[in-house]
This record gives sequence, C-alpha cells and structure tokens, in this order.
Amino acid sequence: MHLSILHRTTFTYAGKAHDSFNEVRLRPIDDAFQKCVSFDLRLEPTATPQDYSDFYGNTIHYFDIAEGHTKLIVEAQSLVETTPNDDRPSVPSVSSSDLEHSAEREMFAEFYTSSHYVPLEVELWREAQDALCDGRADVWNEVCRLGRHIYRTFAYKPKTTGVSTRANDALKLRMGVCQDFAHVHLGLCRSLGIPARYVSGYFFNTTRRPREIEASHAWIEAYVPGFGWAAFDPTHDRPADDRYVKVAVGRDYADIRPINGTYRGAPTRSLKVDVKVRQTNGRLVPA
Amino acid sequence: MPPATKLPPSRPQANVMLSRVAHSLYWMSRYIERAENIARLLEVNLQFLLDFQGLNDASLKDHWDSIILSTGEEKLFAEHYKTATSRTVTEFLAFDLRNPGSILACVFAARENARMIRDQISAEMWETINELHLYLKSQNTTDVWAGGPHEFFARIKQASHLFQGLTGATYSRSEGWEFIQFGKYIERADKTTRILDVKYHILLPNASDVGGAVDTAQWQAVLRSASALEAYRRAHVSAILPWKAAEFLIFSDSFPRSLHYCVAQIDDFLRRILSETGARPKSDAARAARRLLADLQSLSIAEIIDQGLHEFLQQVQTTLDTIGEEVVQTTMFYPAESSAEEQQQQ
Amino acid sequence: MSLISTNYDAGSFFDEMFEPDGKTVRPHYRRLAERLTTLPAADFNQRRAAVDLAFLRRGVTFTVYNDSEGTERIFPFDLIPRIIPSREWAKLEAGLIQRITALNLFLHDLYHGQKILKDKIVPAALILGAKHFRREFMNFNVPRDIYVHICGTDLIRDHAGNYLVLEDNLRCPSGASYMLENRVAMRRAFPNLFSSYGVRPVETYGDALLKSLLYLAPDRTDKPNVVLLTPGVYNSAYFEHTFLARQMGIPIVEGRDLVVRDSKVYMRTTAGLVQVDVIYRRIDDDFLDPTVFRADSMLGVPGLVGAARAGHVALANSIGTGVADDKVIYAYVPKIIKYYLGEEPILANVNTYLAAEPLDRKYILENISKLVVKSANEAGGYGMLIGPASTKAECESFRAQVAANPRNFIAQDPIALSRSPTYCDGELQGRHIDLRPYILYGKKITVTPGGLTRVALRKGSLVVNSSQGGGSKDTWVLQGDE
Repeated sequence: MHLSILHRTTFTYAGKAHDSFNEVRLRPIDDAFQKCVSFDLRLEPTATPQDYSDFYGNTIHYFDIAEGHTKLIVEAQSLVETTPNDDRPSVPSVSSSDLEHSAEREMFAEFYTSSHYVPLEVELWREAQDALCDGRADVWNEVCRLGRHIYRTFAYKPKTTGVSTRANDALKLRMGVCQDFAHVHLGLCRSLGIPARYVSGYFFNTTRRPREIEASHAWIEAYVPGFGWAAFDPTHDRPADDRYVKVAVGRDYADIRPINGTYRGAPTRSLKVDVKVRQTNGRLVPA
Repeated sequence: MPPATKLPPSRPQANVMLSRVAHSLYWMSRYIERAENIARLLEVNLQFLLDFQGLNDASLKDHWDSIILSTGEEKLFAEHYKTATSRTVTEFLAFDLRNPGSILACVFAARENARMIRDQISAEMWETINELHLYLKSQNTTDVWAGGPHEFFARIKQASHLFQGLTGATYSRSEGWEFIQFGKYIERADKTTRILDVKYHILLPNASDVGGAVDTAQWQAVLRSASALEAYRRAHVSAILPWKAAEFLIFSDSFPRSLHYCVAQIDDFLRRILSETGARPKSDAARAARRLLADLQSLSIAEIIDQGLHEFLQQVQTTLDTIGEEVVQTTMFYPAESSAEEQQQQ
Repeated sequence: MSLISTNYDAGSFFDEMFEPDGKTVRPHYRRLAERLTTLPAADFNQRRAAVDLAFLRRGVTFTVYNDSEGTERIFPFDLIPRIIPSREWAKLEAGLIQRITALNLFLHDLYHGQKILKDKIVPAALILGAKHFRREFMNFNVPRDIYVHICGTDLIRDHAGNYLVLEDNLRCPSGASYMLENRVAMRRAFPNLFSSYGVRPVETYGDALLKSLLYLAPDRTDKPNVVLLTPGVYNSAYFEHTFLARQMGIPIVEGRDLVVRDSKVYMRTTAGLVQVDVIYRRIDDDFLDPTVFRADSMLGVPGLVGAARAGHVALANSIGTGVADDKVIYAYVPKIIKYYLGEEPILANVNTYLAAEPLDRKYILENISKLVVKSANEAGGYGMLIGPASTKAECESFRAQVAANPRNFIAQDPIALSRSPTYCDGELQGRHIDLRPYILYGKKITVTPGGLTRVALRKGSLVVNSSQGGGSKDTWVLQGDE
C-alpha cells in the first residue's frame, strides 16, 4: 500500500518561550515490510534538525530554538510503501518451551522484564492466566488471544486515562486508548515470558469508531523464534497488516515519545495534534 | 546567533566571571547599601521628631507621609497600614517582609545572594551578613521601641560598614570587585536623591516658614540622613541654608554620598565592566552615565531649583534605573527556570 | 605517657602496624612507632586539636542534609597515617591499571558492538536491565575512546593481608580533596617524621587531573576551556567541587550557567558567551540533561547530550559508565579482564555470590545470616545487610527482598577487614580501614600514590562512609620499602 502521512504538532505558549530543546521520533522506519520513500520535517520557527539512530534503531531528529517564540510547529510528512498482505509470510507455530530455550531470547531480556509503564505486577499475570484459561498453545496464538481478550473486555474511551497511566492502572480501569491497550497487552505477554515491544506509528483507518482520535497509533510486536517480531493491534483485534506504518519501537511509551523536550519561559503551553493518513498512488499529496 | 565572544586579552579564561555570580555580587551589594540607608533615614527622622515634640499631629503625619512618599512605596504602605505614624512607618520600613524594601527584606535578600556565591567571598564577609541576619530575625518593632531604636539602627549601620570594610580589605580587585562597587554606588546615588526628595514632600503651609526653625531643622535632618552634617559644616561655616544643603548633596565631588561623587564612581566602574576603552562611551548605559555626570559637573543649583528640584531628582532616579537595568541585561542575565511540558497520548 | 601502650589488641585481624602479637612493629611502621613512643600524649593531643581547628577554618567539610539548613561536618581525621611500602604499592598500581584498562574496553564494547554479550561472557539480561546502562549514548564515540577518566577503586585487606577489590566507582568518585587536605595536615603536624620517611607526593593530583581533562578537548583551539559542573551549594560534596576547581584553576559552573547553541556548549559570562570544550561533571547522568534524561532535573543543561554526541564537548567521566560499577557486574570483572586483555587479574575480587544465578540464590537465601548482602545500586553503605551483625527480623526482611528481586542483589562472605591503630579516647585502638586510590586515565594511566584511607571510627564497625560515622587517615606510599 502507498500511504502519505501528515503529522503536525502545534504548541501554543502562554507568553514567550525560548531555549527550546527537542527530540522527535516521527520518521517511519525501513524494515522487511515497509519502506519510507520520503520524509520531510518542517519546523516553525525555522531550525535545522540533526538526526541519529537510537538504541532501538529509531530515527531521532533533534533541534533547538533559542529565540523567543509564542508558537512551535513540528510538521512531519512521509510517504511510505508497505508490503501487501498477500506477500507477507505467516507466523509459524512455536511452542513456549522452544521460545524459552531459544538462543536469542536472552538478548531481548528488556522486553520480558518490567519497564517504566509496564511494571510486571501479579495482577497482570493473573489476567493473562484468565485470558488463556482455555489452555496454552503456541506463542503467536497466545499473543493473539491475549490481544483479543483486551479488545473484548476493555472499553475504548478517550480522556479516562492520561499520558502517564501505567499498565496496571489501565488494567484496573479496564478502559483507555490505544496506548493503554498496548501497555496492557505488553504486560500480559511479558508475564508469560514472551518478549514483546511497543510500536508507535500510524494506521490507515478505513472504518473509524465514533470519537476515535485520528492520532498516532500504538500496538505491539512479539518475538517468535524463527520468524522475528510479529505485530498485533489489541485496539482493533487483528495482526498489523499493510495499513499499518511503523515509526518507532521500544519497551513502552517512554522509549518512543513522538516529541519531547524542554523550554524556558512561558509557564504553560497547550498542544494540538493533526494527523492525516491517506492512501496515495505514490505522488505526494499537499497537506 | 551571535558568534562566541572573544575574550579581551586582559581576562584569561580562568578568571572569567559567570553572569550568575556577577548578578549575585551586584545585588548583595545593593541590598546591603539599601538596608543601611533605610536605617539611617528612619533613625534620623525618629530623632528629628523627638526634637520637635511640639509639632501637632497633622505636621507629624505630614512628616511621616513624606518619608513614605520618598521611598516610592506609598501604595503598598496604604494597602497594609491606615495612617503614617512613627510606629507604622518603622514597622513598614524596618520589619515588614511584605515590603521588599524593608531593612529585614533587604538583609535577607543580601544574605541569600551571598550564600549562592559563598565560595567567592571571604569567610568574614559571609559571617558579617549572616550575623546581621540572625540579629534581625530576633527583633521586632516592640523590642526596638522598648530598647531604644538608636541601638538597633546603629547595629545595622555598623554591620554595613564592617561588610564594606572587609570587602575592601579581603576582596581581590577583580571583575567581582567592580560589580560590587557598581551596585553600591547605584544604590547609594538613588538613596541620596530620595533623602533629598523627602524635603520636597513636606509642604510648608506658609512662605514665612521658609528659613524658620522647623525648616532649618528639617534640612538638618536631611543632611544627617546622608551622614553629611559634619562634612557640610566643614565646607560651609555659616548656618544651614536650604539651597546650600541641596547643592552640597548634589554637587560635592569629595563627599562620598553626594550624587556627583557617586555618579563619577558609576561612570568609572561601568566603563570597566563593559570593557569600554575608548574616550567616547559606546553602550547606552555608559552614555547615559556620562551625560548624567556631565550635568552634575556643569549645572548650578539655581538652574536645578528653577527646573524644579523634585523633577530633577526624579529624572536622576529614572536614569539610574535604566543604567542598572541595562547592565543587568547585558552582563548578568540568566534565564528564568525551566518549565515541564506535557505529551499527547496515542 | 605515650600513646603506644603495651596492651594494644591486634585481635584476629590483619593489623597494618603490628604483628599479631600486638607488640612487634612491622618494618615500615618502625619510625612512626619510635616517634609515637617519645611523643607525650599531651603533645599529640595538641597537634590533633590544631589539625581539627585548621580543617574547620579552611572549611574542609561535607554537609549532611537532615533538615533544610543542612549541617556542615568536618570529616573526622585521624593523625596516625597508613603506610604502604613501595613493593606493595607496585603491585596495587599494576592491578589498578590493568583493571581500568579492561573496564574501559568493556564500556566501549557495551556501547558499540556488544561482543562480550554475544560471546555470552556477561549475561545480556544483566546489562539490559542495569539501571545505569544508558541507551541514549549507544553507538556514539567518546573522545580518545576513553569512558572513565577518573576512577576511585575501593580496596580492602583480608586476614592474611591480601589486598582485594571491594568495588569500583566509575561515575563521580569523591574524596580526592580530602586526600589532598589530609596531606597538608600531616605535613604540618609531623614535619620531621614526614620528611624522614620519604613519602611520595600526592600534590600532583590537580595537575594530573587537569592534564587528563585537557587531553580530551576537541581540536577547536589550543587553549581549551575546561570547567567543573557542580549541582551547587546544596550538594554534600560541594566543598570538594570548589576545592578541585581552584586547584586546577578552572571555573566552577552550575547547569544554569551553561547554554547550548548549535550543539556547542557555552558559559554565560559578563563578557558574553564563552565556549566550553571539556566538562568535568560532578552530576549524575540522570540529572545531566532534562531533554534526554530526567525531565524534572533543574541541575542539568538542555541539549548537553546532543553536544556530546556531536563531539563538540567532552564529558569526564563519559555518559554511561555506571553500568560497569554496578555491584552485580563487579562479579564478572575477572572474566572481563581475561576477555579483553587475555590476562589473569593481578588484584582479586572478594568472592561474590550472584542472586541472579539459581545456585547462588539458593545459597544466599539459606545462609543469609552469615553473609554480607548488598543491593546492586545503592551507594554509601545503605541497602546493605551485614548478616552476622543483624537481627533475625532484619535478615528476614532482606531475604524477602532478595527473593522478590534477585537480579538486584549480591552476597559476599564477610571479610575480616584489616585494622589500623587509630586514636580513640587517649590511646591507640585498632579500627577497620579501607583504601581508595584515585586512578586518572589520560594519555597515560596514572595512579596517585596513596589515596584516601577511610576508617570506621566506631568500635567494631565496618562502615567507613563519612555520612555513617567514618573518618580518614593520610596514606603514605614510601619511596622505598621502609
């Protein structure tokens, strides 16, 4: 699929801000199922971003704006080509014990231990046991069933959780947005020892739910030996397909923040995000 | 983005002065000078009114009103106190922390600034400010009244003099010294104008009162507030003539509290701080200081009285404010605290 | 009446000065013993008082913050020096140089190819889960490929007098200022004794440190600007920060004095912005840059990490060194030395059990009351259980913690730390000591001869830290063997 994505973040300050230092993770990655054909980052006030590749292979652009400004606009435009579904291999069946004894699992230790947003508390483990009460199977099968479990038993409700809500809190509330669904799903997988990582990106939504935020999206990937990282979206109860565009991966939200930084001056700022994901025939569509 | 500054050859990198440190030295110095001046102002006027027990209530009130007016804090005073009496004015000017210009507030602020640069000043300098701070924390208006205000004000003045003496004896003649002196003279010049201005605010009901006993006593109090009485008498053997007292405090180039003397110092230290080596000053602050100095070197008291003494003093205050502010902005500026920011959910 | 009494109790510990009989003096302490025998106790006390007063006046203090005011305390100083003969020191020096060489290669590997993890010498999970493994600096180069420029390695001696490494301190090791001040005090207190011994100087520390910092400067100018970055007056080690800055003649700055523009770091001065080339930072990584690490840190400089990544500023020590002084990684250092250098370690570790390893964990849980158990990341003696000296309840509580979070704990057999005669209530009594030499990694690796000997002043105590009742002694490394 050929997709064009516009992601514009506008910060408005009460007063003047200055000495603003920022890191952004907005450039879609290149991997086996996706190619970022073009990427453009526009900043207002103007600044020249530098970039580097972080620990997880995500591209981080960083820039600073010294002079006073009342508004900051960060606008990313990308053109991405995703591998059609038919051309994607299916995920093989691998038993949990094969996973546990696989040679590489140890290199992914950070993906099955506690992280900032996903502390592995016993409630998550219990929930995972409940969700798989019909019996254990192979790794990918379990990942999908855990995801479905969340889809069925949690309510998608914006404004009930916040940007710092952790997996165990969302579990108690049994509601949230895609970030929370992803964190809980990670908690369930990790409680069973399955290495799983957080994915941030976009998804071309052909059927939007009422009041569903058109924003960047979050889902997970689980490690299946012999295959690699297999993606599942608990918010929509399906494996990620060619409608999904990956931007960054990490242990949880803390590793993939689309924009973060500090500034001096104005006591508060408000935030507005515009995301547009559209299908194209390969040519750049004006924003 | 302006390119990095090339340091003047006289200042090797190791002796570079941080803006933050300059800022603290400047304000530490200003606050101590301010505290001392307020102490003297209060003390002299309390003494003056003791000498004139016969003044009626209205005159007393006028007198205290004028003190408050000269500090520029009449609105703030009115918010917290009904009438200006010796007690309320002493409370306001000595102990009230709601007044940023009170002696207590000034000493606290001086100490806070000193603490932040403690490793830059000598141990004795720090101990002096600290001891004054401890002493003030232990007093209140009632104590002052009971114990006799003179003792209290004497302590403040002594501590200020000791601090200045120690600074003179133990602080290296470096860039830090320049900021300390600059701050002191800016503050002192400002306070001299306000001491002079007190007289303006006291409105004498009759023309015949000019030159009378009360008028003369009031001018004496003005001179005393600037510790200038003895020096004045040495310069003018005759009795105190109002315009001569004003002239002395404005134009004397040898008396260390006179405007002329202070502005000459300001001009000198300013040029050193801003590294202005040419004969003609370049920066706005240095030019303003030079112009003011030129006025003080050439104007006559008659011209000033014609123009209006009060107007002249107000202009000087504004000029001093501008000079101080500009120097702070160009050399001592450091930004306000960082803010946190929020993120958006996915 | 002299201080050296006839009934000095050497106990069952290795005593620095006396043979086990408590009477025979070791050769390198003979001169000191003779001096103390002829010195009247009153005279000794006078010198002691003079030294204490001097410390107070010079402000050689550290601050304990129990309240908002903070109390300044003198780090107690004992006048009896610890003396090390030259041949002993030679071995220590070689061992310390070997150790830091290997640790530096280890750090470089962890932040680049991670070969040691792929070769399964060190478990990947330990590194990836380490609190101080800084992903933010992965794959970035550091000036001269040196990660640790200043290292303080703590050494102890066992009952046989063998030196063992207790732990490495690779982030912001402190105490060098006390080492220097102690030397000044001893020279004044015992000038003749000092010169008769031929003690190797430590006064070169400041110069050597500055040299190793200058070695890191980018090629911008032939007069690089080096600064010391401090958290400020409220930090307990502030005295040391100002002391060292003055020794080196460099400016001392706080985070708010620095600003980053175009990935370069500048100081805000009265003459405008002045570029900074090297920062000796005494702030932990967590607080260094709110854009990259803790966002609530007011102590750091936004954009500083970006400037370090771009190579425009050098940080000493580099970002991320904490992963190698993690108490659990400590247990792997002998393997690390072998892996990178192909050598056996010259200095041995204390025998360590890893709670992360199943067999070790079982042993720890079953024998906790006999062991010293340490939390992987706590500093200063906190988060530590000394089994034999603890109550049953304390042991139980620790056992539960270890069981719940094994990755975070190690255990060691209690070592009978060596003792040194220390002035206690009018006589000399044995008190447990350790040694922290300072290693500087510049163009060459240098180990300052001596270091800080810390002494646990409380009778029987093994805890030497200043905040918990410790004191210090001057350390004399001799030119010769006596």
